[in-house]
Amino acid sequence: MDYDYLKQKRILLVDDGQELLDMVVSILNEEGFQNIKTAKTVREAVAVSETYQPELAILDVMLPDGNGFDLMERLKKAADYPVLFLTARGEDDDKFRGFGLGADDYMVKPFLPKELLFRVNAILRRSYKAENPLVKLHDSEIDFARAEVVRNGEHISLTAKEYGILAALYRNAGRIVTIDALCEAAWGDNPFGYENSLMAHIRRIREKIEANPSRPVSLITVKGLGYKLMVEGR
Amino acid sequence: MKSVPKLIRRFVGIMLLASVLLLILNFALLVIYTLHQAPNGSPWKTAQEAADHLSKNENGYALDEETAMELQNADIWAILIENATMKVVWQTDNLPETVPVTYTVSDIASLTRGYIDGYPAFTGEAENGLVVLGYPKDSFWKHMWPSWDYHFIANLPKTVLSVLAINIALIFIIYVTANSRLLKSVKPIVGGIQALSKNEEVHIREKGLLSELAVNINKTSDILQTQSRQLRKRETARANWIAGVSHDIRTPLSMVMGYAGQLESDMRLSESSRRKAAVIVRQSRRMRNLINDLNLASKLEYNMQPIKPERQNLIAVVRQVVVDFINMNMDEKYMIEWQTDEALTSCTANVDKDLMKRAVSNLIQNSMNHNGQGCHIFVRVIAEDNVCTVVVADDGTGATDEQIEELNNTPHYMVCDENTFEQRHGLGLLIVKQIIFAHSGKMLIKHSGYGGFEVDLSLPMQDSYWVNP
Repeated sequence: MDYDYLKQKRILLVDDGQELLDMVVSILNEEGFQNIKTAKTVREAVAVSETYQPELAILDVMLPDGNGFDLMERLKKAADYPVLFLTARGEDDDKFRGFGLGADDYMVKPFLPKELLFRVNAILRRSYKAENPLVKLHDSEIDFARAEVVRNGEHISLTAKEYGILAALYRNAGRIVTIDALCEAAWGDNPFGYENSLMAHIRRIREKIEANPSRPVSLITVKGLGYKLMVEGR
Repeated sequence: MKSVPKLIRRFVGIMLLASVLLLILNFALLVIYTLHQAPNGSPWKTAQEAADHLSKNENGYALDEETAMELQNADIWAILIENATMKVVWQTDNLPETVPVTYTVSDIASLTRGYIDGYPAFTGEAENGLVVLGYPKDSFWKHMWPSWDYHFIANLPKTVLSVLAINIALIFIIYVTANSRLLKSVKPIVGGIQALSKNEEVHIREKGLLSELAVNINKTSDILQTQSRQLRKRETARANWIAGVSHDIRTPLSMVMGYAGQLESDMRLSESSRRKAAVIVRQSRRMRNLINDLNLASKLEYNMQPIKPERQNLIAVVRQVVVDFINMNMDEKYMIEWQTDEALTSCTANVDKDLMKRAVSNLIQNSMNHNGQGCHIFVRVIAEDNVCTVVVADDGTGATDEQIEELNNTPHYMVCDENTFEQRHGLGLLIVKQIIFAHSGKMLIKHSGYGGFEVDLSLPMQDSYWVNP
């Protein structure tokens, strides 16, 4: 699936250290993000956001004239867009506070460029879905908007549980999702004792998406651990 | 408060023992005294002997010399009253003049029970008369009417025992009444001392018999509380200091990691430059892990890390850690194998999920850190005897017996207050130990069956309430 449209999103970056701002901008630029504005204080950030209308904000918690939590509340009042905290404060309480206020993610410094990019991309993908969300697999395509699989021109609809399981796998495409996380996606909290039901659902999903369900190439089993969805072009 | 009933039992025991010992002592003294009295305690016997040794000759009657001497030495006079005439037919030389020489039957009855003219009299039966001995005045007291009710004598043992029991009961009541006030004062003191040993704040009412002790216990409690507050303050300051330092290092390290990371993947650079950047990235990551570990270790050590235990399926928790490692695209040198029995789907324990994940990832990371050449890492969860055990083992270089002994027993520099040469370094395993101890679990470091290193984490199992659908 093509995510280039996400690279056009307007990003507001707030941190009181110029050097750190420069570095994050260069990391984002290298990834292809071009629309980035920076601010070093709460006041500056509020002023920039009024004219710039960001679509993602990356905020530090400790700023010279206030804190990132309050800033997020002010920014979100004006317009609702995702917020990622990037801070040296690694306390659990800070994380919970950030998430409690509606932050989309929370990253503790120091970080590697690929860690930052992974999170930024994940937030943007979640928040700004493509017009045509067709997910291309080896033998079929998943149309999440219609909750169906298209294989050889045939439209096969997905049940609610199959949709939940596939959506969880797609969010982590190319990565293993544990049996427990998939059960939780399909059955909600306390998803214990559903392992056998999950296996039955996986079998039915394979019958829909795979050309040869007994030799799956898109929905792979990782023995004892979980499953992995292989998406073409990713 | 188990000690107060014990104290009462001890008091009563001592009291009963004392009473019994007192009785035995009294009885013994009585026996000794009576035995001591025995030689001159049988004037009746002496009278009978005198009667037996009195013999009739041609001049009248005569006492043998030995008996006569004995009587004289003891200042005893003697007479023989003849049965036929009721007159004195023989007498010793020392007979007082006031003693009558003729007697009536009633005189005989009276003198047998009592006295003749104030002299205690004792009788012995002679061949044809009655020998009467007169002891010096005030040498004996005679009971004139020696008779008891027959039933009284027959029931004497019972009576004595009853009296004894009543006496003991009386002593007991007096003792308990007298001691109840003492015990009442002792109870809060005992409670206070027990609370002190648990480092709880104590305040006892400073009244009653032991008020002075209560005052001292209250003072001790105040001192202990102040000391522990100060200690806590110092520990908080130390943990805050570590948190502050690690916070201040994070931003500069971000720059190092960020730019090194960019250089590492910059294809315009030469292979060797990118390799150098990769080393900087790797070392920066180690520093980041160290900062995180140091912070968590100090918080766990000073009980500043809030632990939020919840009922968790340990298999799901450990499985997520393993999957996170695999998803991280780690070096292919390291293969993680999930070896939990597939039939075992749940092993429930009361744990803080985040801390438990941290403990297991520290163990996996530890295997990687110590096996630069690569290794297989085997992870499994076992449920046995109401214990959930997480096993992380590898087939790497392992450790010697001494090293394992050291890891199990030598104090870490975080918690060591002496001997700065032989402390243990590296925070990974220390944190695991702290986390497991905080969950009342056990950690065992040993050689793995694969030739490398193994750590077993055991936690008490909780009853699973999940029902299979």
